[in-house]
Amino acid sequence: MPVTGINPIPEGHLNWVFGLLELLEDRGGREDGYKIARDLHMKFDDVLRVMKIAEILGLVSTPAGDVVLEPLGKKFLESDVNARKLMIREQLRQHGLFSYLIRLLKAQEDKSLSKEVVLEHLAMLLPNDPPDRLFNRIVAWGRFAELFGYSKDSDRFYLDNE
Amino acid sequence: MPLLELSHVSKHYPHSKGSLRVIEDISFVVEEGEFIAIVGPSGCGKSTMLRIINGIVPLSAGQVLYKGRQVDGINLECALVFQSFALMPWLTIEDNIEMPLEALGLPPAERRKRAGIYIDKVGLDGFEEAYPRELSGGMKQRVGLARALAVEPKVLMMDEPFSALDALTAISLREETLDIWQAPDSPVHTILLVTHIIEEAIELADRVLVLSAGPGRLLADLKVDLPRPRDRRSDAFNALTDKVFSLIEERA
Repeated sequence: MPVTGINPIPEGHLNWVFGLLELLEDRGGREDGYKIARDLHMKFDDVLRVMKIAEILGLVSTPAGDVVLEPLGKKFLESDVNARKLMIREQLRQHGLFSYLIRLLKAQEDKSLSKEVVLEHLAMLLPNDPPDRLFNRIVAWGRFAELFGYSKDSDRFYLDNE
Repeated sequence: MPLLELSHVSKHYPHSKGSLRVIEDISFVVEEGEFIAIVGPSGCGKSTMLRIINGIVPLSAGQVLYKGRQVDGINLECALVFQSFALMPWLTIEDNIEMPLEALGLPPAERRKRAGIYIDKVGLDGFEEAYPRELSGGMKQRVGLARALAVEPKVLMMDEPFSALDALTAISLREETLDIWQAPDSPVHTILLVTHIIEEAIELADRVLVLSAGPGRLLADLKVDLPRPRDRRSDAFNALTDKVFSLIEERA
């Protein structure tokens, strides 16, 4: 186990989370994860991962196999897309992995790093996670939250809007 | 005057044993501001019909009037969103969205500005310099949507736009499509959606046009009078899905 106290982030897309919140809204704010899997013809494992991501983002809680819309999740549903991005941004900043990367980037003179260097950090922080896929996930979520950017052309991973 | 008027539209393709009839004698009217869904089994010619309406595919008989005038060539006031996203893999997201604007002859500064507006509207800020392969299906379809909106069309035509997406992503993009349709500052207030998913049609549209398979004929033009947001599990919703389903079944 790494000693950094940094938790992994499950494999998945933010669009899944947004779909989950819409579905919860339609179902009165609470639903059984198993029922969601059945109704949407999804694998239960996939539904669990979405639930976990939504929970990491503070949008839902997951008591006893259910998913419950939290106040932040309700606020998310009432917000426009740019306010939603800000909410995800604030939540991600508080996640250990993302705040580590923010600190790391801030310590660089040009506030950016090559992908290779980031992969080395990821491999060290979360040795059980394939770093390449984890990097793709961080970039995808980070772009949506306008927290991180990555330019493939110049191979720079950087702080967005800082 | 209706925005769109189809009268007795047919489409036949030449075939070794005569001709292949794809669409047969379809007439309907679309008013500005309507959200219309066209449903039917595969092979009912629903995608062909979209392409006849925007002028990509020539019709064999009948006529299509747009704002009272016969459509001649491609109608630049209709923009298409594709099931396959149809993005250029070698272009960044921003350049993909700008591409049709270049074709319209907008100067570079105007293109960049216009693309920026719609990147913002569909929640793609932060993805400008990404390439399509770096994006999930849901984000790719947001690019498809932004690209279509950026030409500021009068009619947004969506050809199975959610069919290549997983169930949860489809839920979120359907919701955002409704938001875009309803937003007062949106350029487009009329949507034609082609889908084979009956629930999707009834969840989104004001009117559902039901087509039969081979050749596509108009079986019904149903008004959906349910308040939004629509509850897929309500009795009224189910009654409508059953109705459409049985219309298609009877002909199958």
